[in-house]
Amino acid sequence: MEDKTKTLQREFLKVFEKLEVVLGWEPGYDSLHATPSFIRQAKDLNKLVWNPLCSQNLCTYLVKTLNASVRKDDKKIGICVKGCDSRSLVALIQEKFITRETFYIVGIPCEGTVDWRRLMRIEPSLKDVQKVDIQGNELEVETAQKTYRFPLQQVLEQRCLHCRYPNPIIYDCLIGEPITPHIGDDQAYGDIEKIEQYSLPDRLKFWEKELDRCIRCYACRNACPLCVCRDSCIAETRTPKWLSQRCDLKEKFFYHMIHAIHLAGRCTECGECERVCPMEIPVTLIKKKLNQIVKDLLDYEAGIDPQKQPPLLTFDPGEKGI
Amino acid sequence: MSEKIFIAQGELTAMLERLSKEMDVWVPVEMGDEKWGIRFLPYHEDTIVVLDRQSTISPKNVVFPQVETLLRFRYQKDDNDPSKQRIDLKDRQDVSSALVFGARPCDVRGFHTFDQVFLNGRYKDPYYEQRREKTLFATLLCDTKDSACFCSSVGSGPGDREGSDLWIVPVDDGYVIQALNDKGRKLIPIMGKQATTEQIEKAQRIQEQVTAKRIGEYDLTRSARDFTDRFEDMDYWRDMVSKCISCGICTFVCPTCYCFNITDESRDLEGERIRSWDSCMFYHYTLEASGHNPRPEKFERYRNRVGHKFSYFPDTYSGMISCCGCGRCIRSCPVSIDIRRVVHHLKEAVDAEV
Amino acid sequence: MVNSKEESTTKKDLLIVGFLCNWCSYGGADTAGVCRFNQPTDLRIIRIPCTGRMDPLFVVKALIYGADGVLVSGCHPKDCHYNEGNFYARRRLEVLKQFLPFMGIHTDRFRYSWVSSSEGRLWQQVVTEFSETIHGLGPNPGVHGESDAKAGMSFYT
Ligand code: SF4
Ligand code: SF4
Ligand code: SF4
Ligand code: SF4
Ligand code: SF4
Repeated sequence: MEDKTKTLQREFLKVFEKLEVVLGWEPGYDSLHATPSFIRQAKDLNKLVWNPLCSQNLCTYLVKTLNASVRKDDKKIGICVKGCDSRSLVALIQEKFITRETFYIVGIPCEGTVDWRRLMRIEPSLKDVQKVDIQGNELEVETAQKTYRFPLQQVLEQRCLHCRYPNPIIYDCLIGEPITPHIGDDQAYGDIEKIEQYSLPDRLKFWEKELDRCIRCYACRNACPLCVCRDSCIAETRTPKWLSQRCDLKEKFFYHMIHAIHLAGRCTECGECERVCPMEIPVTLIKKKLNQIVKDLLDYEAGIDPQKQPPLLTFDPGEKGI
Repeated sequence: MSEKIFIAQGELTAMLERLSKEMDVWVPVEMGDEKWGIRFLPYHEDTIVVLDRQSTISPKNVVFPQVETLLRFRYQKDDNDPSKQRIDLKDRQDVSSALVFGARPCDVRGFHTFDQVFLNGRYKDPYYEQRREKTLFATLLCDTKDSACFCSSVGSGPGDREGSDLWIVPVDDGYVIQALNDKGRKLIPIMGKQATTEQIEKAQRIQEQVTAKRIGEYDLTRSARDFTDRFEDMDYWRDMVSKCISCGICTFVCPTCYCFNITDESRDLEGERIRSWDSCMFYHYTLEASGHNPRPEKFERYRNRVGHKFSYFPDTYSGMISCCGCGRCIRSCPVSIDIRRVVHHLKEAVDAEV
Repeated sequence: MVNSKEESTTKKDLLIVGFLCNWCSYGGADTAGVCRFNQPTDLRIIRIPCTGRMDPLFVVKALIYGADGVLVSGCHPKDCHYNEGNFYARRRLEVLKQFLPFMGIHTDRFRYSWVSSSEGRLWQQVVTEFSETIHGLGPNPGVHGESDAKAGMSFYT
């Protein structure tokens, strides 16, 4: 079987003439990191890679960096999406920020991406890594000296452990075979249920403790593909002034409520907000809870059906059950 | 001869306990259960100190808190003339003394940058000055570099003792601690017992070994001109950093980033004037009242970050680079932007790399 | 959330913020007043043009910054002055109501209702019930855990 990285490069090369730019990943500052890559010349396509380190959701760039709705000529944007990323892409189409025709989408069925910090906890001395790959239920890390094997449960991102959509929802070209999700629909909200087992005061304490670490760098918002307000997020605007510059718990708590409520019924559970957080705060949980409510109440999941309208942006006069 | 003491690993907590009776002792602790990141927190019982890796966020907040109250104010009706209001002002209270235990050489070096700006100019910043004077640093010789570290590239190194008050060298199952100045010497008696000659010699050997190490392959100390030459090369900046999402993590975790904002935050008739961390990576940082923004694009903001550290700052402060090579901005960047690479390539075209 | 201070505070006023739409519930509250129906005194009313203007974050902000309860009230569905404002509101507010407990905020601290301007009686009933509920819950514990970074310090002033 051909290496997926090679296939990826080849597929883009085939259509490169019609593309203005290709969004993919390339090796990062060390052998355990990948970094987003904007390829504008065919000769650079060989920089692209695909492996379990390619964690960034590239859809984040579509509205906030590229302004993908405005095209100069007929050229398309080439983009690589994992399962979760593709949901963000669909959601942006649903909300009419972008159009499907603008994109050449290379979908990659994804077994999960590595949480670098979790890996470090288990094996802090890993270096000179030559290859990182997923084999069955294990992550295989090949270094110059030896090959390490880690159970996926211990080293994948939280989002991947609860992923129900490992296969891209939309694509023009699929790299590799579709895979079966690691978990069934019934376990998808297991992480939320864990918190719901706490009593009400204990939940509050849990969030107070977690959110207390927040330094309000807003990385969770900036990394979010669906935070589309560009530079006018109400967390920062002075008119209206929702938040002060203070950094006490109330402000932090409220900031996260802003992000969560604005993502209610829109969040695609890509987990970027949590992955990027330097203080390791499990903020995706908050949005996931809202998603669960929206699913139960309004029978809707964001980023699945390009034709559907997000339910909080519309209404139904004959609504039952509310 | 300066006194050197030895603290066994098992006695560390007891020592910190003793110290914490004298002052606030800030130590590196984990973010939470099963988390990898480290931050500095005031020591209290049950604190588990983690010294085997660098903290995610630098201890700059000990001297330069994320939010500092500069003054409090309250409007009051003038009883004699109801049409008038009086403002009562309350100055900030004194701060207590503090010890940062287990910082790294790069963390301490970060304060050199701060000192230039807040102490060595025409005006002194009283808030910073007070905390700076009252804060001591017990610094750990650093033998745990990772792939993001580059302290030697910017003129420092893993054995750099400059700016520290106490110096900690891990030896066998403990630490040899030595005072580097009078401030540090005062604490020595509280800390522990005299080290043996053997331990001292061993510490000396480790010190020499580590000091000889060079962390970081490039030399980035003379990049000021390269930066100005490259300033208008938009392709360079787009190529290098159009992936930046402008999140501000790099500036918040950085030991040398000192930009701040001052705001009055009030409710009803009272409030505070606070100084809080700001970030040049934020759109609002340069947004002018007219609505014009000189740095509307993300890559322009990143360019400013590089320029400030490697060009404007050395131009203003006799060649000093305002980056200590700690690598935090690289490690924590969600898109893995590597400042070393960006600065290194200022000189030659990127293509030359491949 | 059961609060031990509850007994001693039942008599004292708690702080309930009411967001009432201009066309129906505000009128309903007015009718109740004009008819001199007895009402509890914990409610502070903020008039909004329509519940469609009701940002769920108004509720959250009030609850985080000290309100003991929040009541939102507007026209009955299908009676909205702007035809559809409360249809949007209904979804948003219900989602919020179900969400609050996840963050540790009691869901009963927030209620939304539909009261028209002629329904003075209904308004009296809604306010009375809600006040009783809030008194039952006691003062809002709010969000103010001791910050780790401040523990035992005189350092942050
Ligand atoms: S990324 Fe983390 S620290 Fe930064 S604002 Fe979000 S939750 Fe807070
Ligand atoms: S809120 Fe978090 S999980 Fe949801 S779309 Fe945004 S970044 Fe992804
Ligand atoms: S948090 Fe809300 S206001 Fe801020 S960017 Fe996201 S959606 Fe926009
Ligand atoms: S941390 Fe990275 S993405 Fe965030 S502002 Fe800094 S360079 Fe840009
Ligand atoms: S710029 Fe980066 S490497 Fe330099 S001091 Fe700041 S965080 Fe450390």
